Amino acid sequence: MINYSIGISRIADPISAAKEATQQAALKFTGNKVQLAMIFVSIDLAGPALGKIVKDQVFDAPVIGLSGTAIITPQGILKQGLMVVFFEFESGFNFSCDCVKNISAKNSLESGKELGWKLLSSFKESARHFALMFSDGLLGTGSSVINGMQERLGNSFPIIGGCASDNLRFKKTFIYYNEEILTKAACGILVGGNANFSVGIKHGWKPLGKLHTVTQAQANVVFTIDNKPAASFYEEYLALDIKSLQRESKIISTLYPLGVYIPGEEEYLLRNIISIENDGALVFQGEIPVDSQVRLMIGNKDSCLEAAKEAAETAYLELRQQEQHLHSHLHNAIAFIFDSSSRYLLLRKDADKELQAIKESLGDIPLIGIYTYGEQAPLKAVKYRGRTHFHNQTITIMILEG
Amino acid sequence: MGNLGQIISFAGFISPGIILFLCIVLMYKIERIKQLQNMASKLRDSVDEMDEQAKLIVRTDLELNKTQEALNKKLNGLYGLQKLSRKLSSTLQEEQLFTAVDPAQLEELGFEKGIIFLYNETEKKFILKAAVNYQKDNTEVIKSGLDKQKELFLDFMSKEKAINSSVSAQNKETIAKINSLFKTTSFVIAALLPKEGNRGFIFLGNEDASNLVTEGDEEVVNILATQLAQGMENARLFDESWRTHQELEKKVEERTHALSLALEELKIVSKRKTDFISSVSHELRTPLTSIKGYAAILLTEKLGALPPPVKERLEKINRHSDELTHFINDLLDISRIESGRVILNRQAQSLRPIAEKVFDLLSVQLKERQINSELIISPELPQAIFDTNQIERIFINIIGNALKFTPPEGKITVNIYAKGNMVEVDISDTGCGIPVESQEAIFEEFYRVDNLINQKVTGTGLGLTLVKKIIEAHEGKIWVKSSVGKGSTFSFTLPASPLK
Repeated sequence: MINYSIGISRIADPISAAKEATQQAALKFTGNKVQLAMIFVSIDLAGPALGKIVKDQVFDAPVIGLSGTAIITPQGILKQGLMVVFFEFESGFNFSCDCVKNISAKNSLESGKELGWKLLSSFKESARHFALMFSDGLLGTGSSVINGMQERLGNSFPIIGGCASDNLRFKKTFIYYNEEILTKAACGILVGGNANFSVGIKHGWKPLGKLHTVTQAQANVVFTIDNKPAASFYEEYLALDIKSLQRESKIISTLYPLGVYIPGEEEYLLRNIISIENDGALVFQGEIPVDSQVRLMIGNKDSCLEAAKEAAETAYLELRQQEQHLHSHLHNAIAFIFDSSSRYLLLRKDADKELQAIKESLGDIPLIGIYTYGEQAPLKAVKYRGRTHFHNQTITIMILEG
Repeated sequence: MGNLGQIISFAGFISPGIILFLCIVLMYKIERIKQLQNMASKLRDSVDEMDEQAKLIVRTDLELNKTQEALNKKLNGLYGLQKLSRKLSSTLQEEQLFTAVDPAQLEELGFEKGIIFLYNETEKKFILKAAVNYQKDNTEVIKSGLDKQKELFLDFMSKEKAINSSVSAQNKETIAKINSLFKTTSFVIAALLPKEGNRGFIFLGNEDASNLVTEGDEEVVNILATQLAQGMENARLFDESWRTHQELEKKVEERTHALSLALEELKIVSKRKTDFISSVSHELRTPLTSIKGYAAILLTEKLGALPPPVKERLEKINRHSDELTHFINDLLDISRIESGRVILNRQAQSLRPIAEKVFDLLSVQLKERQINSELIISPELPQAIFDTNQIERIFINIIGNALKFTPPEGKITVNIYAKGNMVEVDISDTGCGIPVESQEAIFEEFYRVDNLINQKVTGTGLGLTLVKKIIEAHEGKIWVKSSVGKGSTFSFTLPASPLK
């Protein structure tokens, strides 16, 4: 049994909003003791005092959270909003919670390992199910952090979550851990014991044109593709010069992200462009290793909405299968949504339709979540729990039932 | 050795064959490779061709997306504008006007941020009126920035057309400065120019560099600014008329208060008058009774015979004393009724016996003066509610007056009938009549119509006043219709009894 309460504020002042949402969550809380608090906050309300205000309310319970382009609440999408969720879990449900700071491009892998190790070392003995992780959205090395965690938790251990975002300003994104507001950090919880969970992840983009090879790259910066400056890839496909590309980088990145081919997986991994440098280098929201086979991807609002529906259906069906398998009927489910900021940019007014499409599959299960700069989840969610990847432009839906 | 020789000779025979065979195989393979290379090259060409096609698809898709986006934006903008217009045109308060633009509406209009300032001409300061998607500390920075660059923004406020950062003739540096102040990458700024009152401006902009404002946005902001200015004008006019209305209401209230004070005072004065008359009348009645008594004793001549002149004077004293007593009694009655000291013994009864009794009483006088009379009583006359003694006085008084003013051969008619839920009595005469200007006044105290008869006949001027007071105490009404030389009709009503 998961006991949770949700507090939401739309007040334009960060401190007042933090207080309102926290008080609301506290008032609605019907359990004995808050064991975990989660914060989802739109970037404009992501104030430094938020963590402390929530922490003061929940005493020794850990607090984790992240900033986003907008937040997803049971009341709908809030462009300017703050949501605080208090959790209490039944005995048999175990979790550990921790955080790593000062992550850089160089130590991302090590930081991932550190977080994995910290989570493991404070976890009580029981079956581990998955880890939920939030990280700074401007690291550019989300894959390395995940790889690091996988070295500690296991290569096929599901790591789900998203990266903090800042409404496509690409200036500063925030992670909350207890009283602190952090950049260049990642926090996570490791969950095990008496709980069901399922994941659905989709993007809805299809490859177009021939395969190209990344010939020179470092972390999330691609210098050359097919031995030509990386930007020429887009210049040729779109017949635009580099200045026009730079000017329209957001819409191009959203409509035509780069697709990275992963051997053995059905779907291409998407990468959104953060910036296009004058020398033709492309900066992406996640790593692209040298020798990667890449293609231009194409999609639209309809394929985007269809993907959301499929992701929700996948997650829902998987949960039902687990219930049948366990002959149990656990209640009190809650769905976490990590939806890409690029999708929000593309859908804009139709973002509600995406939520609606999810609700059609999930029914009454309340939705909480945030718009992110990168999502993490195993690419294949049904039957075989595949390797967790760092994605861009996807919608990741995780249902937790206890 | 022989074997070896044999082998060599065999090899010598066979090797040209092998070589030939190998050459053939090689040639075949080379041909095959050529074929494969050809195929590979064809495949590459077709992949390249497909890639070219993909390029065409992507380019078309991008164009389509852009067009669609622009169209959507315009549609949303117009839709948003229409919704906002409806809201603005129904708002009559200036403060509500500015807060009408909420975040959802701003997004519909196609902007991420919006802010409205008015310029107070007297204090030479910008005043923040509304801010959407700006934090409080942002707006404070903007406000101080405006004060520093007052001239620039005052110049914007003098322009009738909106300024669009994307196509403005302003220099790049100024645009960049404004963008950095308002935390945007593109914007439209338009003056708010109401006919009167403080001018101002509306600033709408986007933070997202890929979401630059367009010429369409400029049109939207132009329309919005005009509507806001119109709304400000409406609000001002409404405020003025509301204020005038409030002032008017305040004045009416003040006057009403003053009038009710005056009325209270008047009541007090009136009560004092009534009390005064009452006490004076009482005080007069005692000596008057003595005077009349002594005069009567003297007139009996029991105290000694009186010489005729003395007797004549004494009779005058007696007569005048009677008149004075009558006058004082009338005054006392009026003051009693006014002060509510008279307790009416109102009962449901017929008016017929009273009318007949009064006719009987006055029959001698009627005969003496040769005046005809008629009493018409409706056969279905309902009972009326009244005090017998008081109503008798009314009949005597009114018919008495008629007698006084009707010449010989004239006629007095009394008509009694039901009218609605009242019983009406009309007493008509063919006397000298009452001029129109006096018809109201005759019911006032001490008023006497200025005519020949009144100059000859004495009267107190209290009779009709008393009649009116009695009728009003009975919840009835009295009035007169008259024309000079033709006669008068005095009518009064009394409530009819609801019981048959």
